[in-house]
Amino acid sequence: MESPTVRMEDVSKTYPGPVVALDRLNIEIAEGEWVAIMGPSGSGKSTLLNLLGCLDRPTSGRIEIDGVHVTPLGEKQLTTLRREKVGLIFQQFHLVPYLSALENVMLAQYFHSMADETEACRALEEVGLEDRLDHLPSQLSGGEQQRVCIARALINSPKILLADEPTGNLDEGNEQIVLDIFQRLHTEGHTIIMVTHDSNVGTLADRIVLLEHGRLVTSQVPTRDPFTAPVQPGVPLTPS
Amino acid sequence: MLFRLLRKSLRGRKGRIALTTLAVAVAASAVSVLLNVTLDIGEKVGRELRAYGANIIVSPKQDALEVEIGGLRYAAAAKAAYLNESDLPKLKTIFWAHNIVAFAPFLSGTVEIGNRPVLLVGTWFDREIPLPGGIRKFRFGTGNVREVKSEETRFRTGIKAVAPWWQLQGRWIANPTGEALVGSALARRLQVNPGDLLPMKVGGLQQSMRIAGIVRTGGAEEDQVIVELAAAQTLLGLPGKVDRVQVSALVKPDDALALRGKRNPQGLPPEEFERWYCSPYIDPILFQIEEALPAARAKALRQVAEAEGAFVRRMNLTMLLVTGLAMVMTGFGVAATMTTTVLERRSEIGLMKALGADRSQIARQFILEASLCGIAGGIIGAAAGAWLSRLIGTQVFQVPINPTLITLPFTLALAMAVALLGAAAPAAQAARLDPVHTLRETL
Repeated sequence: MESPTVRMEDVSKTYPGPVVALDRLNIEIAEGEWVAIMGPSGSGKSTLLNLLGCLDRPTSGRIEIDGVHVTPLGEKQLTTLRREKVGLIFQQFHLVPYLSALENVMLAQYFHSMADETEACRALEEVGLEDRLDHLPSQLSGGEQQRVCIARALINSPKILLADEPTGNLDEGNEQIVLDIFQRLHTEGHTIIMVTHDSNVGTLADRIVLLEHGRLVTSQVPTRDPFTAPVQPGVPLTPS
Repeated sequence: MLFRLLRKSLRGRKGRIALTTLAVAVAASAVSVLLNVTLDIGEKVGRELRAYGANIIVSPKQDALEVEIGGLRYAAAAKAAYLNESDLPKLKTIFWAHNIVAFAPFLSGTVEIGNRPVLLVGTWFDREIPLPGGIRKFRFGTGNVREVKSEETRFRTGIKAVAPWWQLQGRWIANPTGEALVGSALARRLQVNPGDLLPMKVGGLQQSMRIAGIVRTGGAEEDQVIVELAAAQTLLGLPGKVDRVQVSALVKPDDALALRGKRNPQGLPPEEFERWYCSPYIDPILFQIEEALPAARAKALRQVAEAEGAFVRRMNLTMLLVTGLAMVMTGFGVAATMTTTVLERRSEIGLMKALGADRSQIARQFILEASLCGIAGGIIGAAAGAWLSRLIGTQVFQVPINPTLITLPFTLALAMAVALLGAAAPAAQAARLDPVHTLRETL
């Protein structure tokens, strides 16, 4: 069997207090899989995303991303791994306000290797923003800002796309546009890990990982409405 | 991309950048003023201080003990020695000839006025003398030969240049052989006024001179009759002779080398001796005067020279302290502005780190921003400093200070250093920011 893109073994994260954000979590995510992380507030979704994004380190356990054991890495190595393997999409978009859409995409290229304007233009064209290249974030709608954010996350061809509530701040129309892009990316073979509260968004994923109090409650193939369907504990944590 | 990022980032924070640049400019202008004033004013202050009188007395070398009280020399007549007036232009041929700004020869002798002895002093009032031109060569024990080109062919000097504070009631002497100035105390005692005839007995012969003016000097001259040197030489029967010369020379304060040379200049190693000889301390100038006039002994008026040295030293120290203070304050100013910028840009920095920026890439932005502020502030400060130097020169020292380009690289370097030192801590702080926390704060 091919090794998974993401493997978490007994991963725990404890904050001073102590607050247990994640408790002995075991997850594997295969290449090209779309996984939705769901659960109530405080269940550890964002902590999980931070660990997978190499923005934080676990208190214990082992995390492997694309075959690299992340846990013992220092800050510099984590930064390198993040820029090489991870694309981040935020609920709040987090675009640099004084840079145009094009420059925001080029910024990620600059930190990765070298800014390439043609390539950045193409990335924005792929998310339908070819006529918004020189617009500042303040001149773009929420959906357009999120599409810039997606283009920025994709520009360095990451192994995994981590999205934190990507449609959380969008109206229905823009949400659909963004979800269409995610579906297309999934079809193209991108590995997507998405935190969401929205069960409708969750149903688009290959698998829903449900967390509660930092623990894995279930990992299952979504039905039309996963929260009305009975949760089946003990479903194997392997990709569908 | 870095410069695009920098340009746009700066454009969005014009006010804060202007403030930082201004802070750096203030420090840079202080540095520029310090350098320009220190480089140019040493001589200017020296010249200014020279207005307070001579700092060197040149007298004939003689064995007999000579005592001077109230300007009157007490020495046995047979043993009295004199210098030749014709040798005096040699004072302007020494290595530091340029620093001899004025001199005035004197010849004094006693005359009788109203049966009382009075000192008659002859001097140059305002004399222009020709100077030997060409290049003078100075050979040293090290084998080096230093050449000094004489730029002046004529030199105007005399008591008006050496003692410009003399106050005159009446006028200066117009007829050198028939007119005299009378010291104010003596004039009061003799009850004479400008225009009166002054009868005097010289060597048993009765002579009369018309009083051109009454002079107030605050010194021994107030009890003397002052005439042209040539007239005194004729009256005293000493043609071509002078008994002392007051010299006004620009000198720099003594330092360690000057102190070593003071004890025994000839005992210095050849390299040190050359350096000592070619430095305008008071002692090398005395040494060189005695070289030029072998029959003379040059003596420093130590109190004057030392007071001048101390004044220049204190002035330089004060300016150094003010500049240092300005630089420290600016450093804090830059640090405060940069720290505020870091706080304002926390989310942006967090995002950049999340996108894969490492510490050095984050710090580089702040360092580059500070460098730009340093360069801009340095240039503005250098320009402002040059203008301020001129202003200080004309307002404080009554002479224009000419700012020199040599100060520009130093000013820019120090402005840059202040900006970078001020930005170092905030840049490090920015580089250390945790992206998880900073991004979460903006949610």
